[in-house]
Amino acid sequence: MADRHQQKTIKTTAFPYGVGIFLCSVALPGLLVAAEGNRVEKTFEAAPNPRVTISNARGQILVRGWDRQQVHIVCSVVSPRVEVDSEVIPPGGPADKVHFSTHILDPLVSGKDQTADYSLDVPMGTDLEIRDTQGSVKIEKLQGDDATVETVAGAIVVSDFTGHLFVRSIGGNIEVIRAAGRVEAYSITGDLHFVSPATSKLRATTTSGRILFEGDFPDGGDYSLSEYSGDMDIICPPSASFELNAKTDRGKLENAMPITIRHQPATPLSSANSLFGTHLTGKATVSLKSFSGTIRIRQR
Amino acid sequence: MDEIRRHRTAECDRFELELEAYMEGEVRPFVLAHLRECVFCKVVSEDLLALRTAAGELPLEEPSPAVWANVRARLSAEGAFAEKEGVWNWLWQLDLLRRPVPVAAFACMLALGCWMTAPRNYPQLEASASLAALEGQPAAVRSMSFVSGGTGLEQVVRELEEAFKAREGSLAPDVKATYENSLSSLDVSIRECNDSLQREPGNSLAHEYLFAAYSQKAEVLSSALEFDEGR
Repeated sequence: MADRHQQKTIKTTAFPYGVGIFLCSVALPGLLVAAEGNRVEKTFEAAPNPRVTISNARGQILVRGWDRQQVHIVCSVVSPRVEVDSEVIPPGGPADKVHFSTHILDPLVSGKDQTADYSLDVPMGTDLEIRDTQGSVKIEKLQGDDATVETVAGAIVVSDFTGHLFVRSIGGNIEVIRAAGRVEAYSITGDLHFVSPATSKLRATTTSGRILFEGDFPDGGDYSLSEYSGDMDIICPPSASFELNAKTDRGKLENAMPITIRHQPATPLSSANSLFGTHLTGKATVSLKSFSGTIRIRQR
Repeated sequence: MDEIRRHRTAECDRFELELEAYMEGEVRPFVLAHLRECVFCKVVSEDLLALRTAAGELPLEEPSPAVWANVRARLSAEGAFAEKEGVWNWLWQLDLLRRPVPVAAFACMLALGCWMTAPRNYPQLEASASLAALEGQPAAVRSMSFVSGGTGLEQVVRELEEAFKAREGSLAPDVKATYENSLSSLDVSIRECNDSLQREPGNSLAHEYLFAAYSQKAEVLSSALEFDEGR
């Protein structure tokens, strides 16, 4: 009798704990990381062209394309009061959308304690949307249709992306390497650096940062670079064929390329320095603007 | 049988005056009080209510065609359907088609006069007119009116700035520093562009950068406020 009562007591006591453990391990898949210094690695089956979004306050984000139909994430947090959630749509089967977000559970957590670092491997055709306030973002080798990256102060580096790239940072530097799709890059105080672009449409603006463009201008391309007070350096090969429209209000224009000057539109009221002309056959269109910075154009 | 004679009183007169309003639904305490005192007025009231109820239950009937014909004839006799003499009627009465040569000559002279007196440089005229109209206004206002966008953007930026200043204390120090640096950089550009426009009001590059600086400032402030709200 006593044994039977003891068994019933164990079952009654153990059962709720078992249910709780079951729920924590199975019914809460969205919770990836919630322990101090915890590093979690997880893999989701994905559709060929999924959309991955990441919302983070502080930390590094690295996204690379690979040839598997999976989204593989490794993330780590510093503080136990920082949580990383994931949401997969649809819940079952290959994911069309995967969303990761960092939540600061305790408002008192500040500074580096808010750090959550992400490292993702995603299918090549993935579309991306990343917001990392105080952290840096790096994207490598993706062929998705579009990628949007925004930071407040973190640097952004994108290499070998073929889709429409939109990057914006208030104070961080932006570097775009071998981009093949349309590129839009904006910063207020950060520098902009473009290396070997293969894109046919590029628009870049910074207010006090510097612009460095190293590469050719593909035929038919349309390039618009604008900065207010920083310097602009254009370094292109002798074979680059482009039509140039360059002007600065108070800054200087230094050109080392053989440009065939064409008729300049009359601007009697403006004291701007300007250069309108053609290099070789003018197959691409290049527009360079500065208010008080120096524009330098030279051969590689 | 004794005949009951009705003695009409002043209250009955007042009752008759207010009865219509009462039956239209207005609140008339005097009518209700008089109905309790005067049998004859009460009977009148009840008869009128019965008539109204019966009239509401009568079926609708379409008047005969003769009725509409008579109505139309009466309206026509009073001139309700007379055609108004328009410009084209007046011109038609001039028999212009019978005099083609003078008409054509007049038309050619009219066209020539319009062509000779038409303004040549529309953009400059519009620009000069708009700038002249804004004389005395600050350069930023004139600039943004010139390039379209208007003073609304300046007002928006001002409001966003006030909201940011009210909440900037809640931002993390490094985040706040980033926003402040960028806003400072934009303020410098706004100031310098305004200085340029004071000296050269037609400086299109300065106009362009001034408008861009205000737009970027609005975006930065919005970003800062969104960041603060999302924490």
